[in-house]
Amino acid sequence: MRMILLIALREYGENVKTKGFWAGILLFPLILVGVFFFQTLLADSTPTRHYLLIDQSGQYSEAVQNAIRQEHQRRILQEFVNYVIENRRDSNPEQTAASANTQIDQLIDDVGADEVAALDQWLESGGLDFALALASPYLRENSPSFVPPRELFVQASLPEEVDAQANPEQLLEQLRPWLTGERQLLVGGQTSTLFALILIPAQVDDAIIRPSATPTTSNTITGIQYWASNLTDTRLPNAIERSINSSIRDREFTQRGIDVDTIRTVQRTRMPINRLDPRKDEGQEAVSVADTFRQWAPVGFVYLMFISLMQSVQYLLSNTIEEKSNRIIEVLLASVTPLELMMGKLFGIGLSGITTIAAWLLSFFLFIALYPSTETQLLSQFFNVLLSSDLIPYFVFYFLAGYALYAGIFLAIGSLCNTLKEAQSLMMPMMMILIVPLITMTFIAQDPNGPIARIMSWIPLFTPFTMMNRAAAQPAMVDLIGTTIVLLLSIVLVLWLSGKIFRQGVLRTGQPPRIVEIIRMLKHKQ
Amino acid sequence: MPEHVLELNKVSKRYGSFTAVDEISFSIPAGSIYGFLGPNGAGKTTTIRMILDILKPDAGDIRILGEPCALNVRHRIGYLPEEKGLYKKMRVWAIIAYFATLKGMSNKEAKLRAFELLERYGLKDYSEAKVESLSKGMGQKVQVLSAVAHRPELVILDEPFSGLDPVNQEVLEQLIHDMAQAGQTVIFSTHIMQHAERLCDRMLLITKGKKVFDGTLADAHAIIPRRVILECAGDIRPALDSSSIVGVNEVIAEAGRKAQASRHWEILIKEHTDPQSILQCCINAGIPLTRFDHTQPSLHDVFVHLVGSDAKEHQLR
Repeated sequence: MRMILLIALREYGENVKTKGFWAGILLFPLILVGVFFFQTLLADSTPTRHYLLIDQSGQYSEAVQNAIRQEHQRRILQEFVNYVIENRRDSNPEQTAASANTQIDQLIDDVGADEVAALDQWLESGGLDFALALASPYLRENSPSFVPPRELFVQASLPEEVDAQANPEQLLEQLRPWLTGERQLLVGGQTSTLFALILIPAQVDDAIIRPSATPTTSNTITGIQYWASNLTDTRLPNAIERSINSSIRDREFTQRGIDVDTIRTVQRTRMPINRLDPRKDEGQEAVSVADTFRQWAPVGFVYLMFISLMQSVQYLLSNTIEEKSNRIIEVLLASVTPLELMMGKLFGIGLSGITTIAAWLLSFFLFIALYPSTETQLLSQFFNVLLSSDLIPYFVFYFLAGYALYAGIFLAIGSLCNTLKEAQSLMMPMMMILIVPLITMTFIAQDPNGPIARIMSWIPLFTPFTMMNRAAAQPAMVDLIGTTIVLLLSIVLVLWLSGKIFRQGVLRTGQPPRIVEIIRMLKHKQ
Repeated sequence: MPEHVLELNKVSKRYGSFTAVDEISFSIPAGSIYGFLGPNGAGKTTTIRMILDILKPDAGDIRILGEPCALNVRHRIGYLPEEKGLYKKMRVWAIIAYFATLKGMSNKEAKLRAFELLERYGLKDYSEAKVESLSKGMGQKVQVLSAVAHRPELVILDEPFSGLDPVNQEVLEQLIHDMAQAGQTVIFSTHIMQHAERLCDRMLLITKGKKVFDGTLADAHAIIPRRVILECAGDIRPALDSSSIVGVNEVIAEAGRKAQASRHWEILIKEHTDPQSILQCCINAGIPLTRFDHTQPSLHDVFVHLVGSDAKEHQLR
């Protein structure tokens, strides 16, 4: 036992001193900070986008401008909701739709349920000023004042040399240098790239598509033309499409003698759907955000387990190969038994894996404590939910079990190879197997007690991941106990067999063995 | 302490159809320096690994320090493997201390011992250095020290001299002497005969997995008859007393050399014959000698004599 401890401590001590270990530990918080920092930075740094609107039909310019105004209001609404969530007095993720009783909760809920309707209501009731007045009693006293986002899309005036009345083909030809960025617009004394050209031809109404009409196939472009070299930012064309369609529909309603206001009212009628959980106490059945999160949390754990396992197991492998290629193994084997050596490595490197996870969790804690924002606020609330749930013991058990299982296999692989390159080919199948739980992760979270989830739980190599995946869904007792027994037995078996391979493998030199040789090693009696 | 620290009885090891070690038997008395000699591929390392219970013999039995299995007494054994290697990232003193603790020393004791050894064997300045910064020879010295730091009763060194410069070879010889003085038994394998000649009380010579010699240095010398080299003008054969010699060979001059007037003879004499009697014979017969040379055969000669043909054959194949 002392030997195992000595080896484990050395492995741990040496591992902790490597650069790779610290890179692993520091990378996570760096990514965390990076993601949040850059997100805010990017959101603030998106440049104002100038567009040109040429409406030769004379009918839709108002609708387009309206669309852009609405898009801006939508962003204000969203930012505002975030602001309220962040600064309200009694933020509580356990809140459910049913328990929300204030107007402000109603607003937040509306945004979540039906953004279009909420936006209409928001504009009707007076927009930001009204909402601020409504929200102020519920905000914390020291909360910062709300800064609405600036306008993202701004209309630019047509360059002087371009004739607005020319036909669409000529117009496009004239404007092409601006669209491709060869020439810059001059807006308020500053140059700016033309983001988009919205071109509405004079006879655009002919292009309206009605359900009764047979679709014509022609190569000519009909309808409104949206020219932009940026293909990814679709907010502007989407908003324009919505708004113009809505204005066309309004016109159609009027033509058919239908009152548009009635339509609006009808459109905003909705039936709430209450998500209820039969397993909860009476009166508490409504599903809250925290409940949903609890159901999804295992996915996060599976992922954490995967990353940490990969790291530990890789280290175990390269470390065994180092000892083997350095022939240190021989000195070690003259001092300790192969089993002691194996167990020592297993414990030592397992311990550094746990240290990494602990460091990650700690940095996560520190981060959400020191970096206040809407997202971290939410994260810390979720984190509390997580800590209060019963998932932690599951995670600890399945992490350790998974580690023991895979570490045993990778140690055996390491003992058979003299270089990492040789190990790659033996590792491939194991990597494929390890990827499977990652692929099925989301699927199993959605159907945690379905046949695939149950079958996978009984395959020892998947048990730790799949059972972790299912942990929040109260899997059947037979699954829980049965798979645990199978898992523990497999761990014993794997460690015993890899002990055999390890013992013979570590002294091997030359090429890695063929399958037949490995089987012979397994049969070998000591 | 048992009389013999190590006894092997008809120990064999096969790898498939290849017999690496073939029914080797020998025993090593306590407190001696024992040379384990043999050409490359003779089975030295395999034998050592079996002694240490790293490999299991296919047949035969081994008793080490009175136990049937090295595992039970591994704290009383020190081992330096043939292929040397250390953890590259560890500090020199730490690695010596680590291996000592694996052999049952307490952490504190092991640390003190590491610094003591480093100072005594001229590595004091490198105590805090990392192993990767050492030269190959220095690394090897560190490894030797880490193998013996726990004051083992039985020290097994596999090719300890390979890769060391002459100065460090002497340091290592000193270390081996020191250990023998302290009553430790040292077994080392080598194919450099000078070391064996200088250090060993007894030696074992194996080739192709078989034992070909086991005995003291004097025994080894007795294997090859002592030789007397003579140069004279005529035929020496009729003048010699056949009762004291084993054989006479005429050494024919090499082709390139100028034919000489005198002829060159090699006379193998019997074990207890005084070489002076050969000289007397020549004088009595009135043969004028231009050269009279009498040499002790070196261990090198014995080695070549015993394994030479095999080793060459091996090389050519």
